[in-house]
Amino acid sequence: MNVRRIGEVEWELAPAGRDDMRVPARVFADEELLEAVRSDDSLEQLCNVATLPGIVTAALAMPDIHSGYGFPVGAVAATELPDGVVSPGGVGYDINCGVRLLALPLTARELGKRKEALVHEIARRVPTGTGRGGGLELDDAAFDAVLAEGPRGLIGRGIGTPEDIERTESQGRLDDADPARVSARARTRGAGQLGSLGSGNHFLELQRVGRILDAEAAAAFGLAEDQVTVLIHSGSRGLGHQVCTDFVKRMDAALARHGITLPDRQLSCAPASSAEGRDYLRAMSAAANFAWANRHVMAHTIREAIAGVLGAETADATRQVYDVAHNVAKREHHSGRDVLVHRKGATRAFPPGHPELPEAYRESGQPVFIPGSMGTASWVLAGRPGSMEHSFGTVCHGAGRRLSRTRARKQIGGAELRRQLEDAGITVRGASNKGLAEEAPFAYKAVERVVEVVERAGLAARVAELRPIGVVKG
Amino acid sequence: MAYRWGEHVGELELAVEAETEEAAFGDAVRAFGELLADEDGAPGEPRHYALAVTGSDRAALLAALLDELIFLAETEGFVPQALDELRVGDGSLEATVSGHEGEPPHLVKAVTHHRLRFDPAPGGFTATVVLDV
Repeated sequence: MNVRRIGEVEWELAPAGRDDMRVPARVFADEELLEAVRSDDSLEQLCNVATLPGIVTAALAMPDIHSGYGFPVGAVAATELPDGVVSPGGVGYDINCGVRLLALPLTARELGKRKEALVHEIARRVPTGTGRGGGLELDDAAFDAVLAEGPRGLIGRGIGTPEDIERTESQGRLDDADPARVSARARTRGAGQLGSLGSGNHFLELQRVGRILDAEAAAAFGLAEDQVTVLIHSGSRGLGHQVCTDFVKRMDAALARHGITLPDRQLSCAPASSAEGRDYLRAMSAAANFAWANRHVMAHTIREAIAGVLGAETADATRQVYDVAHNVAKREHHSGRDVLVHRKGATRAFPPGHPELPEAYRESGQPVFIPGSMGTASWVLAGRPGSMEHSFGTVCHGAGRRLSRTRARKQIGGAELRRQLEDAGITVRGASNKGLAEEAPFAYKAVERVVEVVERAGLAARVAELRPIGVVKG
Repeated sequence: MAYRWGEHVGELELAVEAETEEAAFGDAVRAFGELLADEDGAPGEPRHYALAVTGSDRAALLAALLDELIFLAETEGFVPQALDELRVGDGSLEATVSGHEGEPPHLVKAVTHHRLRFDPAPGGFTATVVLDV
């Protein structure tokens, strides 16, 4: 595949012999990351995305791109409304998987030896693991309210605060949500999972703020050097997986009727204006609201753990910095067009002055959180104007997996990894040794390089580094 | 009749080779039984489930059948062992699957349509299914 440089860290693909691409495919990467990307089939997958009916400008890939199902992970595709397609695979199975950052009113030095107790208490209170319940039990009406309203429906129950809602992307609610479009099977899988972490690469991390690179933005985000933070990485659990499964199947069956041919069936899609497209957007929006509510309930549980270990005053003064989605499709307006922006493993990063940002972040730009792999630093970024010019207001989402779970397990035992992390000052709770080994830091790409590229591309700027001091794994 | 599991970065792939269509579906169910078997403990009470799914072709029917097994494993603790009965029509499939109660590991989150295939091949049929894990 021919790759042509079109910017300092931007490349355009020119695959030989393909006449089915409607727009170019472009990748943000430096030379080294590009070389790594070429070792799997993610660039071919990106070219497949460029064939989708209604796609505009280009199929875009962030520097953390890696092979996925249909869409590569780290892809952005905008389709023009009303008749461009929506693709469930372009959102992913874990609808509105995302990241929430909480900032505690104390430093790591002040936390001191109470860190162990705090990590232990968070692990004890937050349910973890695939398929397990243990989350908030709701009756049907309350469950529907969460699907329709997201976390704001939980404030009346004393869970979270109005400021938490204000500091959540889209205020934690997509208006298209219609609980009636979420199947009984999806509801069954999601029942009892609200407020639970899940497994795989989902985690809760206790951190301290390391280097600060933009003091003004850090101050706007309420972050100071050595401050303690908690990062929550989770999504819509089994409910979201089932919504995606339901609609990949339904749209697959309707492709011929819509006259759509695809290079990969996982790209199954339908015009956003069709019955299948409208129903998916309503169900996906409900699942996205569920995911925001899920992280909202976990944040509440974490505040309870903080109250138990550090006192109620500390818990009450624990603020939500922001909550961002990295698997979602949203109606947005870009370059004079109404488009549906699919972000699969990619994070919205609106620049300063954008009207959708909370008042507190209008001057700084949107906070973006890029989790590292376990044991390595995560990053806080702020959206920059280049994101609107080049990537539909989007940046990367994380490090990206490099090794399979089995290969990771073959390279290190869980007990040995646990010892290494503890030696590095990182308290580990909640994971089996097997699960821990599968998520070893070396199984992921280096997040620093990914973050540097989005900064060089002008999509976002680094604000602060977050160093792990405790991890709770599913 | 044969099946094999392949693991790639972040996914599991099931590849089946069989002499007949029915055997291909049966092998896929047996493969899932291996994947969902309890790591510890003795098998629980025997269970049988009658399943009915729809799909636009054989590949979509196979994905839909395996999706049923994921749901039953997650919600009923069902560990499949064998495909006892199978009727495959044009766009629909009915099957009876036997197995037992257990505590299957919930490592499979979804059956994807990525690289999904079910094709005639020399000597029978081949099928490929990629799982989200």
